[in-house]
Amino acid sequence: MNKHMKSVISLTAICAAVSLLLAVTNYVTAPIIEKQQSAAANEALYQVMPDGEDFQAVDLTKYELPDSITEAYSEKNGGYVFKITTTGYSSGFIIMCGVDASGTVTGATYIASSETLGEEATYGEKLKGATLDTVESVETVSGATKTTSAYRNAVKDSLGAAVILGGGSVDLRSDEEILNDNLSAALPSAEGKFTSVFITEELTDINSVYKAENGAGYVFVSGESFIATDNEGNVTSETKLKDTVETNAKKLIASTLTEIDISGYADMPSQVQKAYKTASGNYVFDLRAAGYGINGDKYTASGEYIYIKVSATADGKIIACETVSQKESDGIGSACADSSFYTQFNGKTADTYKDIDAISGATVTTNGYTTAISKVFEAINILKGGA
Amino acid sequence: MNKNSNMSIFLKGLLLENPVFVLILGTCPTLATSTTVIGALGMGLAATAVLICSNAVISLLRKVIPDSVRIPCYIVIIAGFVTIVQMIIHAYLPELYDLLGVYLALITVNCIILGRAEMFAGKNSVGKSALDGAGMGLGFTLALLCMATVREVLGAGSFAGIEIPFLSRFKIEYLTKAPGGFMVYGILIAVVYKLTHGKAPKKKEFSCAGCPSAGFCNAACENTPVKEEN
Repeated sequence: MNKHMKSVISLTAICAAVSLLLAVTNYVTAPIIEKQQSAAANEALYQVMPDGEDFQAVDLTKYELPDSITEAYSEKNGGYVFKITTTGYSSGFIIMCGVDASGTVTGATYIASSETLGEEATYGEKLKGATLDTVESVETVSGATKTTSAYRNAVKDSLGAAVILGGGSVDLRSDEEILNDNLSAALPSAEGKFTSVFITEELTDINSVYKAENGAGYVFVSGESFIATDNEGNVTSETKLKDTVETNAKKLIASTLTEIDISGYADMPSQVQKAYKTASGNYVFDLRAAGYGINGDKYTASGEYIYIKVSATADGKIIACETVSQKESDGIGSACADSSFYTQFNGKTADTYKDIDAISGATVTTNGYTTAISKVFEAINILKGGA
Repeated sequence: MNKNSNMSIFLKGLLLENPVFVLILGTCPTLATSTTVIGALGMGLAATAVLICSNAVISLLRKVIPDSVRIPCYIVIIAGFVTIVQMIIHAYLPELYDLLGVYLALITVNCIILGRAEMFAGKNSVGKSALDGAGMGLGFTLALLCMATVREVLGAGSFAGIEIPFLSRFKIEYLTKAPGGFMVYGILIAVVYKLTHGKAPKKKEFSCAGCPSAGFCNAACENTPVKEEN
């Protein structure tokens, strides 16, 4: 055999054999190496989803996801990891959140924040295991309510986004949007613009009342029902609550306020700014409460007031209470503007008005507020005595 | 002891014909990977694995491989094994892979391996060649470990990454750099020479003639007074 041919054949054969060996080794090791490399590259992904495998970036342009979600990664077992950038009060807060195939949070961690984080830095731990149904019930960290609620909303967005990516649909509307949608459904001619009506009369089975800004009528909320009336208080649709609503509506719409001149009452508490009386004999007060930075009810120190509107019956029972404006510390005392706080006073009397849940971390604000409320009962007695 | 007994084939690599300190082969990886004990051990064992496999395979094929293409054949075989070892380390010991870096791939051109293939495996039986590979590999590992121990303990004040209480306050960082490496290398060569004095093979016994790079090397030697091997 030709010597040169032998050389060529043997070298080719060796190369082929070695290539085969390499191919086999590569076949075995390549997936392991790839897994390790993606583990290193996606360390943050594994932090929030330790059991995740084979992360792939998701093309967000194909889906209608909440705007806060900037990146999404799908995972082999049906889970997702989201990168969320918060907006609003705690904007620029970047959070990674893992959601597994069953829609449960596997972990959440913040990556970057323009704020100095204290206890809320580990808030993600609390959110672990939350689902779309339970995420709202995870308590925020007191003293960092805004930051932690932004955190929680980010996680909620992630949970919702996981459902959307999984092919489902989810209601990601905020409470305001849900309310507005319900009101619009009851009274379409209002074109989606409503204002809350301050209740000055004792109503039965009515939680709140909204008026169409364009004068199309009213919507009365009774439990879960939204019932529209015209401007005279006639219910326009068929409902078993028709009679109740009509009675209440006519009472409320007929209610007129007459201002009482309080300058003649020397004993009138300084918190009472203005007083009104309705035709039915109820009182309505505009109150000015001492906020944080104002010492008690002596308005000497510099500080901001909380303006409150309260309606009460002549025998001293609060009908409705509403915070009109406030400038308390954001995230702490500002909770006095939440309806969950001020509606606690509804139905309270001089004996029971103190039975409310104080705003956590805002004792001064709560005290100023309740002090102002207590003056309502004083003012009613003064006005009745002087009348 | 019979010079060709299996035991002596294995043992000679450890000291008498230690590839690093006596044969002065593989200087480059020796200096580069002997800054840490872990790195030295990893490098030594990786090279040993390649040595045993390549020696055995080359010995097995020594009658099949035509003389004219033996060097390319050896390199293909060696490179194949190096790549296999590299893949395995990358997959199962990623930290070691990162530590050794490019030197892992450079085992291919480590002269110890090509040198043993040419000097021993090309002429001896499979069993003896594997033993020679094991001995040489362990000798290489041992040499690396000696150097790494000196350099890490004195240079970085730690051993295998574990800090040594007193020494860590008096580090001689010079030793972890290349010049310090040469110094330690030189001193250890002297120590080994002293230990094996009179027993180490004379230069003639492993003359340049057997080396695959002899032609190139001798030509270069004529122009430069001192030629350091790889």
